[in-house]
Formats: sequence, C-alpha cells, structure tokens
Amino acid sequence: MSKLSTASVRSNVQELLEASNKKKRNFLETIELQIGLKNYDPQRDKRFSGTVKLPLVPRPNMSICLFGDAHDVERARSIGVDAMSVDDLKKLNKNKKLIKKLAKKYNAFVASETLIKQVPRLLGPQLSKAGKFPTPVSHSDDLYQKIQEVKSTVKFQLKKVLCLAVAVGNVEMSEDEIVTQIMIASNFLVSLLKKHWQNIGSLTIKSTMGPGIRIY
Amino acid sequence: MVKRKRAALLPSNLALLQNLIKRDKDSYVEDFLQQYKHFESQREIFLLNPSDEYSEDFNDLVNFLAHVSNLYPKYASEFPEGLIQLVNENHTRLNAETNDGLIRSLVLLKNKGDISPEKLVNVLFQVLISTSSKAIRHICYSNLVLTITNANALNKNPKLNRSVQTLLFNLLQSPKDGLWAVKITRQLWRKNIWDDAKSVEIMRQACLHRDTRTSVSGAKFFIGIDKEKEEFLMDDSSDEETQKELEQLRHRMKYNKKTSKRDKTIQKVAKELKNEEAKDKAVQLNFSALHLLNDPQGFVEQLYSKQLGQGSPRHTLEHKIVFLNLISRLSGMHKVVLLNLYSYILRYLTPKQLEVTKFLACAVQSSHELVPPETLQTVVEKIANEFVSDGVSSEAAAAGLNTIREILARNPLAITPELLQDLTAYKGSKSKSVVASARGLIGLYREVAPEMLNKKDRGKEATEKMIAGKTSSLPRYGEEIVYDRIEGLELLEDREDDDDGDDDKWEVASDLSEDSDDSEEGWINMESDKEYEVSDSEDEKEKEKEKGESAPKAAVSIADSVMAKRILTPADFAKLDELRKQKIINEKLGLNLKGDESIDPDSLLGAREDKLTKEEKIERMKEGREGRDFGSKKGNIDHHHSTTNREKARKKNIIMMAHNKAVKGKAKRSLRLQQKLLKHHMNRQRGLKR
Repeated sequence: MSKLSTASVRSNVQELLEASNKKKRNFLETIELQIGLKNYDPQRDKRFSGTVKLPLVPRPNMSICLFGDAHDVERARSIGVDAMSVDDLKKLNKNKKLIKKLAKKYNAFVASETLIKQVPRLLGPQLSKAGKFPTPVSHSDDLYQKIQEVKSTVKFQLKKVLCLAVAVGNVEMSEDEIVTQIMIASNFLVSLLKKHWQNIGSLTIKSTMGPGIRIY
Repeated sequence: MVKRKRAALLPSNLALLQNLIKRDKDSYVEDFLQQYKHFESQREIFLLNPSDEYSEDFNDLVNFLAHVSNLYPKYASEFPEGLIQLVNENHTRLNAETNDGLIRSLVLLKNKGDISPEKLVNVLFQVLISTSSKAIRHICYSNLVLTITNANALNKNPKLNRSVQTLLFNLLQSPKDGLWAVKITRQLWRKNIWDDAKSVEIMRQACLHRDTRTSVSGAKFFIGIDKEKEEFLMDDSSDEETQKELEQLRHRMKYNKKTSKRDKTIQKVAKELKNEEAKDKAVQLNFSALHLLNDPQGFVEQLYSKQLGQGSPRHTLEHKIVFLNLISRLSGMHKVVLLNLYSYILRYLTPKQLEVTKFLACAVQSSHELVPPETLQTVVEKIANEFVSDGVSSEAAAAGLNTIREILARNPLAITPELLQDLTAYKGSKSKSVVASARGLIGLYREVAPEMLNKKDRGKEATEKMIAGKTSSLPRYGEEIVYDRIEGLELLEDREDDDDGDDDKWEVASDLSEDSDDSEEGWINMESDKEYEVSDSEDEKEKEKEKGESAPKAAVSIADSVMAKRILTPADFAKLDELRKQKIINEKLGLNLKGDESIDPDSLLGAREDKLTKEEKIERMKEGREGRDFGSKKGNIDHHHSTTNREKARKKNIIMMAHNKAVKGKAKRSLRLQQKLLKHHMNRQRGLKR
C-alpha cells in the first residue's frame, strides 16, 4: 500500500507555503519534487526517462529563445519572445564559447521546423549536451501555446545518481494547484518505474530557499 | 639431554626456532636477537656488494623475521621499515628470487598489520613498473589486487582507493606502463570493489592513450565489462555456506523423526536465505561504466579524432572495430551527435567487407533520434544500394534489410517514402529470410507512418486510421513525446467509470475511442485527441455533438483525471499494467527503441534458410551418433565369411550355365515381356545412377 495520501500532501504543502510566507524572498521561489529511488539496479533495469506536461507552468519566468525563419521570428517578436534567425546563428561561427553562453542564457529553445535540421550543424553538440535541444514548431502551430507547453513540461531522467528532482510549481500558486501538480508528477513518475511504489525510496518537496519536507 | 640437542640446532633450524618462539617468546629472546643481528650484518654485506647471487639463507632469514618480528616490538620495531627501504632502493639490483622472497615477507608483514596497505601498495607499484621479471610482475599484480580487495572488503577504504587511483593516473602518463593501470582497474571493477566515476576516468584516459595495447584494452573494458561483472556476481551470489546449512538440515530431516516443527524450521531457513539474497542484490548500486562517464560527448569526439580520425595511428581492422563499437555505443546511449562518424562507417558498408556484420551493428548502435535525418539517410541509402539489390546474395539482402529496420526503428525519419517502398517490395522475394526482413520493415512502418508505405502494405488497421483522417504520427525531428498523463490511464478510468454505472454515456464512448488511439500515439497532445474523437464516430450527428463537447472535456481532463485527484495505489498500477499488457503492440516486433543495448551482429543476419549440404548432413549425423553404439555388441562377426550363393552364381563358368533352362528361357520370352523387362531394367539403372 502506498503511504501517500492526498490529505498528507495537502498538509505538507501548507507547511511549505507557510515557511516561505514567513520570509519573503526577492524572487519567485520554485517548488521542486525530489525523488530518491530504491531497489533499483541501474544496470539491469531499463533506464527510464519520460516527459510529462503539467496543467500549469511551474516556472513562469523561464526564458525561451526561438530559432526561426523570418515568419517565425516575426511571430516571436510579437509575443515578446527572444528570437534568432539563421544569420544570427551563423554569426556564432561554431564558436564553442559563444554557443555555450547561448545555451546557458536560456532555459529552453524552440526552433522552426524548417530550421531544426540544421541546428546540429550550425551549433554543434553544445545544445544537446546541455539537454536543451530545441523543440520543433511549425507555421501552423500556435506559437504562444507551444511555448506555454514547453514551459509546462517536465522531464524525469535518471543521471549518475539514484535521485532526481523536478520543478512542479512555485509559491504563488494556490494550495490546490500545487497539490494537483505534485500528484500528477508523482503519479507519472511512479508509472514509469518497473516496480512502481516499491522503487520509491523517498519523496520530498522543497521550495528554493525553504526546508525540505518529506512527504513519503 | 633433549634440550641441549635442540639448543645446538637452533641457530641453523629457523623453522624450529620460529615454532618455539611462537609458543614461548620470552625464553627465546636471545636466539631472536642473534638472528636479527645476523640479518643486519647480512644486509650490510648485501648493500656493499649487491651481487646477483641468490642466497637461500638470507631469504629464509627474512621470512623468519617477518613471521616473528611483531612479537618483539622492543627490538625489531624498525624491521618493517628497513625491509621496505631495502626493496625500494635495491629491487633493481637484486635478483628475482631474492625480490620474490622480500615481497612475500612484506605481504606477510602487511597481513600482520605491521605495514599499512598504502605503504605496501606503493612498494608493489614501484617493483611492478621497474622489474624485468615476468614472475615478479605477476606476484606484484596479484598482490596489489588482493591488498586493495581486502582493504575494501568490509567497508570501502576511500583513502587507499584514492591514493591507488592517483598512482594509476601517473602510470597512464608513462608511455609503456599504462596497460597495468587498465589491468588493475578492470580487475577491481569486475570484482565490484571500485565502482566510482574516478576509476571510469582512468579507463577514459586509457582509451585515449598513445599505446595501442593500452587504448584497445581500455575500449574493451567499456564494451565488455558489464557482462563480465554480472557473470562474476552471479557466481558469487550463490552463497555456499548458507546453502550448505540448508542441505544439512534437509539431510537430517531424512533420517530424523519428521515433525511439523522441523518442517517449519526448514521453511524458515529457506525463506531467510532467499530474503538475504534479495537484500544483497538490492543494495549494490552498480551503474554501468558507460553511464558514469563524465562528458560523453567530449569523450566520443576525442576518441574519434585520436583513434579513427585523420592522423590517428594505423590500427588493425579488429582494433578499429573495437573503437568503433565503443564510439557507436556511446553515441546511441548518450545521444551524442558526431557527424563524422557516419561518413566513416559508410566506407565499410559493403557486402564484401570483412566482418561486415560488426560494422552494420555499429551503424545501428550509433543511430538515434537526434541525428539529423539527412545524415542517416545517406547511411540507409548506402546499405540499400550495396546490400539490397539484384545480384547480391539473399543473405546479404536480409542482413541489409534487418539493419535498415533497426536504424529506422531508432530514427524513422531517415528514409524517403520511395526508397521505403522499393525495399518493402522485397516481400515478394524467393528467399524466406529476405521476405521475413521485408515484412519486419513493413510492420514497423505500419505503426510509425503507414502513409509512407504502399497502399497494399498498410494493413487494415492503419488504412482505417488513415481514412479516418488521422495525420501522420511520425515524430518531427527533435520532438520529444510529451505525455499528458500516464500511458494507458484511460483504460483504468474507463474501468472505473464502468463500475460507477455509466452516469455519462458518451464520456465512456470518447474514452473508448481514446483507447484505440493510444496504441500508436501515446498521447502526444490534446489536439490529436480531439481530432480523433471527431473523426472516429460514424454517425454525423454524434460527430457534431462530440465536437461541441469534447473540447472542454479535453481541457479539463488532465486536471480532472484520476491521476490528479488521488495517488494511485500499487493495486491501481497492477491493474494498469495488466490492462496495458493486452494492448502492447510495440513489443510485438521485439524492437527496442532505447539506445542502451549493444547490438549482437549475428542478430542482424536473417534467418538461415539454405538447405543443408551433404557434408553438413553427414556431419550432423555423426554428431548425433557420438557416444552411441549401433549394431551388435559383439561387433560385426562374419568379416571373413564363405562365399554366398549369389556370388557363386555370378562367378560360375558360362559354359556350365549356357544350357541351363533359366538362361535358355530368356531368349524364348515373348517380345512384349522382353521389352517390359528391358524398360524396367533401364529405369532401374537410371535410378541407380542418380
């Protein structure tokens, strides 16, 4: 049986919000879900990775840049998203340092469908190395919605250690919203694992500056 | 009387003295000191004139002192240090046997705790590198591994490990001794003593080493170590002692009175044993060495340019394959984009290339969804041109088709519809294995992008979906499948809705439609859901109704689904798994879309189809006969029998037979009968010739 119940999550979220309200920070604190795994043999079991779209954007301040053709650049400018054209990319001249800088500057990238195939040639491996390979967007897609979608997806991926963390919300969200986000994220993660709840060692929620609160 | 005799013997009989000292150390202080002084003077002589001569006496003396010196800390506290110094400074000048003896004594002292493992390791390393004797090198190596293993037996000894790893790093700097670093690290990794990123870093550097032997063995480590380690652990896991205990209990049960209590104890022990094994398995954290690599992209680039690129040393084909295998595996696993790699592989993709299956396997391993489709397209085209064309053997065609299928399973964009249709036309080939491979390709694209196939090949399911107006499910380049919810969750919800008693009928209906949707799509986004709901219903009116209502429904569905409302219990997941299992289609082909595994080159060859040749048949027959005797146990008895009647008839003089009725009668037969018999005879002759 899982020991986690909605009520306990709710009370923990309350506690967390209280802690963050006590001392307001000068920025928007993000709430993240930290997961410790157990009974998991990274060599024998399949390495899992999965991307899920949460109903709300956990980090509204995420910065996004678009690589696009003239049409898309125009559209991006109109909704206030940074954009770069092919020429801008060519100006980087495959300079590793500049590309690294670019990759660091933004949280995620979006690229026009026509352009995305050239991205590995233009920018080299630096973007995928940083795990920020652009998401394609076509002319028929609604750019704003696409960007919201990119912002609200979170990726579960196991790296070199048996624990992982994802952003699920921020402290300005309402309690209900946070609970929903946590539920979706944790349910999705558990569904990815072979032995489901038996693979979960611990679940902790934590706001950026606040204390970690163990919920499972 | 006896005692005096013994005393007389003592200076020369060290074994006896050792035994006596161990029993009663206080009474033999004098003897010990005498020997100790003897050793010191011998050492002085040695240092003055380090001859190559081997003196057994000196070796015995050292051995004796190593055994007993810790009993007299007052007198011999400097003995271990002195010995270390002796080895350290003079091991190059001493002969092999003396070195051997000294090293053994040092190991003994370490076991007794007089020397720390770090010091011993240092000495061993020095000797290992500089000695020219193979035997001593072997002793040093095995003792090094043993020392480190023992030091890490109970708890990890990070201090020792760190110092050893530093020594190994230094070894790698030298041009020749790098191989030892690889050997030691490999052995310790295999035994699961080292499993950290630092040892992986040692191997990483080894792969980039100038010396071919070192770099090849480094690459082989990454390729093969996982399997090796698993085998090692498998051997280890059957815990013999506890197993023995259980056996003993069972044996006792056979003869003792059988009571239910004893039965229970056995069951209990067996259960505990099982639990313990399970615990052991769960605790060990073994990441594959490939996963622990720091900066795989950088490593792959370096490895390529150093070992395979321009200006790299000339490797044999075998070595090239080793490096290529490692590079391709890493690039598949870590989604590394290295564009040069594909053009490099390209030149080896011809049916006549030696070991071509290995190159094909590398081509498969190195492909993943982030490689630009154009690049992979060239690879696929080359394989298609070289392997899958007229005038190439069916074996090659099957291998080519299988390879293409595996590549496309990893990156479905890497082929044009025209080429795909050309290739699928091979389903009409005469060769069974080619047909099977072509069908595999069709099966793959039925799921991924049926519109790229010929109309005939699409199959019923896919055609229905296309008629229903579903757009391509081919993922765009760079796109990642983003889930809205757990895959197959709607099955669960559906089930629960049914239990509730259908309060909203068409919600169920739409859920059902979503069911069939998920099999190939897996919930890419809400839009596709909507579209599908619209298109699937046959009735026009219902269509309208659904269109109106499905939009808001889809919008709330994520937040409203079971997933958001409550935490799914293990029971839910069990049910979900069960429901999902019924619908699993992806695994029908046995395709693994993850890039983690290595590809077995033989698996790319098609099914073996040619008939056995006569030689092979005979070979098999003989194989089956091995260890079995046929015929009479007495053997073939009449090797030298008398002539048979048939033989006699054949050899009989013709004159004697000419007037015989049987012979004469032949000529008198009717013409018809003669002809009939002749025809029969001719037929038989023909049959015999064949």
